Amino acid sequence: MDRRKFLAYIGRTAVVLTFLGQAFAYFRSLVPNTLYEPPKKFRIGYPKDYPEGITFVAKYRLFVIRERNSFWVISAVCQHLGCNVNVIPPKQEVVKIKGKEYKQKWEFFCPCHGSQYYGEGTNYGGPAPRPLPWYKLDIGPDGQLVVDANTEVDHKFRLIVENLG
Amino acid sequence: MNKIKEVWRSLTWSFDPKDKIEATKATSKNFWLHWFPARITYKSMSWTYSFWLGTVLFSLFLILTITGVILMFLYIPSAERAYWTIKDLENSVSFGWFLRNAHRWAAHLMVTTVFLHMMRVFFTGAYKNGGNPESNRPLNWIVGVILLVLTLGLSYTGYLLPWDQLALWAIVIGANIAKSVPPESIVGKNLYFFLAGGTQIDQPTLIRFYVLHCIFLPLLLLILSSYHMWRVRKDGGLAVSEQYKIEAKKLNKRLIQDEYTTFTIPFMFRRAFLVFLITTAIVLFFTIFAKAPLEEPADPTWTPNPAKAPWYFLWIQELIAITTIKIGDFTINGGFIGGALIPALLVFLWAIWPYLDKSPDEATGIWFHRSRIIHNIIFAIIMLYLIGITIFAMYFRGPYWQVYWPWRWPEIPHMF
Repeated sequence: MDRRKFLAYIGRTAVVLTFLGQAFAYFRSLVPNTLYEPPKKFRIGYPKDYPEGITFVAKYRLFVIRERNSFWVISAVCQHLGCNVNVIPPKQEVVKIKGKEYKQKWEFFCPCHGSQYYGEGTNYGGPAPRPLPWYKLDIGPDGQLVVDANTEVDHKFRLIVENLG
Repeated sequence: MNKIKEVWRSLTWSFDPKDKIEATKATSKNFWLHWFPARITYKSMSWTYSFWLGTVLFSLFLILTITGVILMFLYIPSAERAYWTIKDLENSVSFGWFLRNAHRWAAHLMVTTVFLHMMRVFFTGAYKNGGNPESNRPLNWIVGVILLVLTLGLSYTGYLLPWDQLALWAIVIGANIAKSVPPESIVGKNLYFFLAGGTQIDQPTLIRFYVLHCIFLPLLLLILSSYHMWRVRKDGGLAVSEQYKIEAKKLNKRLIQDEYTTFTIPFMFRRAFLVFLITTAIVLFFTIFAKAPLEEPADPTWTPNPAKAPWYFLWIQELIAITTIKIGDFTINGGFIGGALIPALLVFLWAIWPYLDKSPDEATGIWFHRSRIIHNIIFAIIMLYLIGITIFAMYFRGPYWQVYWPWRWPEIPHMF
């Protein structure tokens, strides 16, 4: 490579990099670094205020389920394309999930594309690709239920509240 | 008075040229018309060959631009206020309803016409060069396919701006389709994050779609459609014009320009203006007699049941609902297959079709030419299938996307 060619090469590369650099800056500025979104860990009120059975907490798009003094939460966001699933009476009272019998009092149906889930969140019909996630539930220092939507838990999870106040 | 007339003439153009020289100058000396050819073939001007659908589309785009720019003065892209500015259009702004309806109906007609235009070009074999080495119609067909996708993109982004229930759930589903592109944790999630401007649908999403709808996509459409029309001229007019050369070659005759072409001004311009007037009349008819709907304000806590996409996306919604593949416990999301993969494959198939079509030159610019019967049948079947599932999704899908007879609609809410 002679001097002339080398300099021309450097020049062309510099021009290309100048514009690529700018393009990258424009693109990167559109990927947000700060999110003004509600936190993924939030309080949803006192356990005693939740009735027996299933309650839809609209603000956080999840269901709180209470059986006497045990509590757990299931996300209401359909795992297909993100609509809210509805609670409906079950088609069958007793269903088999992974070989185990499960007695259910309700099912979840999605209005958008007809995904169907059993009462404990396992998808069985429609286009849903996976079960509704269960979120970690805890009691905060002020006695309120605290949901941690960053942490998924398995279907054996129960929060036992001894002192319902 | 004569002086004023003279100045006016020099600024505009002559609609009734006195001679051939003036007729030629009417296009070449005029800034707005200089990209038209001075002469145009008679066959290109036929009403029943092209139905002038391209001109209809241009007219609709003009109406959409004018109404759209005025709407921009009256709309605020804020998650709190957007819905109420639309309400103001309906209840408080003078002729606000007129602007909104006109914009909406022109948009619906544009989506319809863009499909009809594509079908016309396909069924006439107008993407073929017809043996003319100078033209590149397959390229223009590809540009057309991109323009179709852009039109759908504009409709979709515009659909969201009222920020009502319809808008919110359409964007939730659309953004989640992007999220379902595998591998979800690497591609899908980041795509969603970039589209929505966060991990949920909120203010950053609205402003993104607003800019896409008002600046980015229209500008892209304007540039590409200008190229689209310029290419028609470079390709020597509509594809049917090739028939003159093919016939002359067959009869071993020389083509005489005056016999098969005429002047753009006034003849072609007169027809184009008439098409513009008819298009305007149709838009005005719908604007005055059909109201644009507006649902309740966007509510992320409550999904309407059933939540249906606008009619031109119902086929995608139906495909999404029926293309989930299950192999044991492993599930491939229909959102990806029906919502992204199949539409993308269809667009790709459309784009490359001219290169698969090996029919003879005679089939260029002829409706339903015998040699292209297989192409036309395959194309018609695909289009009929898409129209079929659209109608199915529109009338036979009820709550929870279950199948119902349309006449059972009033009973449906009592099903559970």
